[in-house]
Amino acid sequence: MARKMLKDGEVAVADGGGGESYEYDLFVIGAGSGGVRGSRTSAGFGAKVAICELPFHPISSEWQGGHGGTCVIRGCVPKKILVYGAAFRGEFEDAKNFGWEINGDINYNWKKLLENKTQEIVRLNGVYKRILGNSGVTMIEGAGSVVDAHTVEVTQPDGSKQRHTAKHILIATGSRAHLVDIPGKELAITSDEALSLEELPKRAVILGGGYIAVEFASIWKGLGAEVDLFYRKELPLRGFDDEMRTVVASNLEGRGIRLHPATNLTELSKTADGIKVVTDKGDELMADVVLFATGRTPNTNKLNLEAVGVEVDQIGAIKVDEFSHTSVPSIWAVGDVTNRINLTPVALMEATCFAKTVFGGQPVKPDYRDVPCAVFSIPPLSVVGLSEQEALEEAKNDILVYTSSFNPMKNSISKRQEKSIMKLVVDSETDRVLGAAMCGPDAAEIMQGIAVALKSGATKATFDSTVGIHPSAAEEFVTMRTLTRRVSPASKLKTNL
Amino acid sequence: MATATTDLRFSAAATSAKTLDRATVRARRGRFLHHLASRGLHLDHLLPSPFRLRSPFSVCRAAAYAAEGDGEKYEYDLFTIGAGSGGMRASRFASTLYGARAAVCEMPFATVASDALGGVGGTCVLRGCVPKKLLVYASKYSHEFDESHGFGWKYETDPKHDWSTLMTRKNLELQRLVDFQTDMLKNSGVTLIEGRGKIVDPHTVSVDGKLYTARNILIAVGARPSIPDIPGIEHVIDSDAALDLPSRPEKIAIVGGGYIALEFAGIFNGLKSEVHVYIRQKKVLRGFDEEVRDFVTQQMSLRGITFHTEQTPQAITKSDDGLLSLKTNKGTVNGFSHIMFATGRKPNTKNLGLEDVGVKMDKHGSVMVDEYSRTSVDSIWAVGDVTNRVNLTPVALMEGGALTHTIFGNDPIKPDHSAVPSAVFSQPPIGQVGLTEEQATEKYGDVDVYTSNFRPLKATLSGLPDRIYTKLIVCADTNKVLGVHMCGEDAPEIIQGIAIAVKAGLTKQNFDATVGVHPTAAEELVTMRNPTRKVRRNSAGEAKLMSRPYVRSRHVVPSVHKRVTQSVKVHWRVLISLIWNKSTRETNKMQCDGATRSAMRILSDIGRESERVALGGVRACLKRVMRLVCLVFWMLS
Repeated sequence: MARKMLKDGEVAVADGGGGESYEYDLFVIGAGSGGVRGSRTSAGFGAKVAICELPFHPISSEWQGGHGGTCVIRGCVPKKILVYGAAFRGEFEDAKNFGWEINGDINYNWKKLLENKTQEIVRLNGVYKRILGNSGVTMIEGAGSVVDAHTVEVTQPDGSKQRHTAKHILIATGSRAHLVDIPGKELAITSDEALSLEELPKRAVILGGGYIAVEFASIWKGLGAEVDLFYRKELPLRGFDDEMRTVVASNLEGRGIRLHPATNLTELSKTADGIKVVTDKGDELMADVVLFATGRTPNTNKLNLEAVGVEVDQIGAIKVDEFSHTSVPSIWAVGDVTNRINLTPVALMEATCFAKTVFGGQPVKPDYRDVPCAVFSIPPLSVVGLSEQEALEEAKNDILVYTSSFNPMKNSISKRQEKSIMKLVVDSETDRVLGAAMCGPDAAEIMQGIAVALKSGATKATFDSTVGIHPSAAEEFVTMRTLTRRVSPASKLKTNL
Repeated sequence: MATATTDLRFSAAATSAKTLDRATVRARRGRFLHHLASRGLHLDHLLPSPFRLRSPFSVCRAAAYAAEGDGEKYEYDLFTIGAGSGGMRASRFASTLYGARAAVCEMPFATVASDALGGVGGTCVLRGCVPKKLLVYASKYSHEFDESHGFGWKYETDPKHDWSTLMTRKNLELQRLVDFQTDMLKNSGVTLIEGRGKIVDPHTVSVDGKLYTARNILIAVGARPSIPDIPGIEHVIDSDAALDLPSRPEKIAIVGGGYIALEFAGIFNGLKSEVHVYIRQKKVLRGFDEEVRDFVTQQMSLRGITFHTEQTPQAITKSDDGLLSLKTNKGTVNGFSHIMFATGRKPNTKNLGLEDVGVKMDKHGSVMVDEYSRTSVDSIWAVGDVTNRVNLTPVALMEGGALTHTIFGNDPIKPDHSAVPSAVFSQPPIGQVGLTEEQATEKYGDVDVYTSNFRPLKATLSGLPDRIYTKLIVCADTNKVLGVHMCGEDAPEIIQGIAIAVKAGLTKQNFDATVGVHPTAAEELVTMRNPTRKVRRNSAGEAKLMSRPYVRSRHVVPSVHKRVTQSVKVHWRVLISLIWNKSTRETNKMQCDGATRSAMRILSDIGRESERVALGGVRACLKRVMRLVCLVFWMLS
């Protein structure tokens, strides 16, 4: 690819005049969401870019990864595919009252789903490679580590090493599932393996209260397993709005998942009948699969960062400034490895900002305000902006809370007992909508547009002036006229929860 | 001068309003609604629209108003004819928010409307949005069963649909809603009178002969299906009847290209009828964005619906075996068990006494109103479909809410009909808000158009040829997003939030600054980086295409196609029709580019799909044919 003349890219131009010459303008370690975006966008600005990534495998390790990264190979995409697969069970149940008769057995062929899922991620892996190739980025297979401020060493799977020099280095190595240290932990699996199990478990035990735990609980339950979910707090999904957490917990229970709040696992052991799980309350149960969804740790320990002087925090996340700059001037980091907001679209945003800053001649900071996100439990939860609790923390004025809990129209025939709930958190003085949340079918799709409005500082009056789309669930967001409660930051009392 | 009786009548409302502060009243209403919601219906759409936050509801003011003088002259402050969405909203608000004496008359409930039958709830609840959506839900399952195979689900026998179960449950639900709405009216203090209302003079309504006087009369009688008078028309059904058929149609012809026709086409197709749609024009959904019109037709064809374009029905005949034949200007098709006409709706203004009191109507019979919904007679108002402005439930609600504010709130407000979002619950559905590309080009001249046509994640596993089309129309000068259109799974739900942004006048930068929710279809709307085309007005004032289309490659993705043979066949049909239409499109370059892109996309899809699926010799042959067609097509264009 011909290199474009850089007009504004001072940094890259300076490189040409500085006398020092490097093999590449940018060397990226890790071809996940952030790395691919960073390298493509930089190449688009005319930079000469190389990227290294480990060979493809659905389960990651020190020697295995793959183009596309966690999102495509071991995260968002395969997870959502399994959620789609699992959600059909509920649809079949609902279909009966709409007049559909399914005679005989409904069979579930896990192998087929797995095979189709793997095919899809292999395809996406190829797509990512092609995109990189088309952008003129040099792809190098192997594990990258930093030798000095401008040199990366790539170790090939066969052990051979090669060194590359670059004006800038971007670290985008992501993170990896982390196992808690209890006796028998080697019997447990992480989300990587859970997405690629040979057999569908009949009895699954999940430890963790985060979104990964909740999503796998919904997936396995939907595919027919008995699921026990253990977490340390009283409610799952710490950090989300308390009211929504309560709704998610009751929906999970309503769909047949056994919840064990405030309970930890103390020991796993192998028996003829499966894995014996012991809890800190002294209970014992048997499981075919035990999933630890107990957090993720940044992939930094093989990068040789200390030697070059790149600072990391106590969990190993790379410390960066607002422009994703590390403590070494020529080294940058984006995505999960920096442990800011660990979401694909955020890594994309960070990487785009990085490329614009370094090669586009226009320094831009990623903006972490009003980042929407979704938990693909069944039914899903999606939020944007502040939770009621966060709003109260930050508030100067009273907070107005509008909630709506309703029976989705589909349930009026299917008779499923599951409410959808929506919530708007509004500043009483400025009328600005500070946060929105929804738990119910299509929540994630609905929240995207709400996020556009919120990000631009929409007021409750703007919401109200929008005409509804009838009949939809989403119209509820523009027809919430009735204040549920007014909360004062001083009192921090919840009047109606 | 207020009389003692008037004062007494209002004393309760006035006192309670004076003693309760705003928050308490709100909290009470909140609890009430919560209670109702727990009974299985959410009612927020029946609550006040545009004034809740900015102006406190003014019970006190209304009480003062009522006491100001001529209260005793009339039995009611507001008499509404028709308890549909608009009428219910207006009468309930008049009563609950302004303490007005409100009455509403409505005819007895029946699933099929007539001159003597209707029902509390109106078209939306009884013969429109609600039953329609319930049938859409029911019919969508067949597609979901198809999808589930790719996700590993198998059934011993194919799921069958029992028509009567669905109808019974649907009607139970409708009856529940009628009862519920009736209760709600009563709980709001509105007098409900059963019977057919007719205006006698500017302040008098006769309901089946009994006279009622009112300071204001509101006409909210809605509209009804309208079918052309052609020979044999007595054999056809309209949408009222189609929602309540005793048995499943084996083979149905649906005449009409509007949203009702497409929604029913999807419903019957999903419930396993053979469906033929007859439209007079070249395309369905007149008034919608051109590319959306093409896209939805393609997608519906792929699901098995046959479209017959440019055909005007001329006669219907019934043969001895009870089957129907439809004769059009292009020939006759036999063997229909049902023929449905979805050829428009007309306002229910006949026999209402409007001519006699001097309420002006246009040539279609819709009541003419000013911006405040006032008719040519000062004391008579009209909202909803009878005024034929934007015929949607939420718009009637908005008009009804604004009306009570205007009459009783001493603060005239106009309903704002700009950027009203709407949906078509076809399969796949459409959601849209703001201007179409054609309207935007006409109005602004210089617009940037962002489009994306992609295969959603679910379809990559299901192997079905489902796609999603999205389009963002941006003003080139101001960068304001003028219109957003989407066709595909969940489009109506997705567009609601987007509508807030469009209503607020947000720019493309605002969209770009928003982080996506991953992985969703909706995130596509905030990740459209490069315009597909830039349309610029030239010196002659004609809109012209400036840039070559930017083809997004990342969504042109092949799939593991389970049913390649069937799907390829259908693809071919679409493709051939596209090539066929090409010469006519040549005149319009923009459209031609759209069509070319669609065709190329389909070709590349088929090519890659056939590449991936093991079809032995057929595959290789197919590939060669594809390449040849590609080449020919490329040369032609």
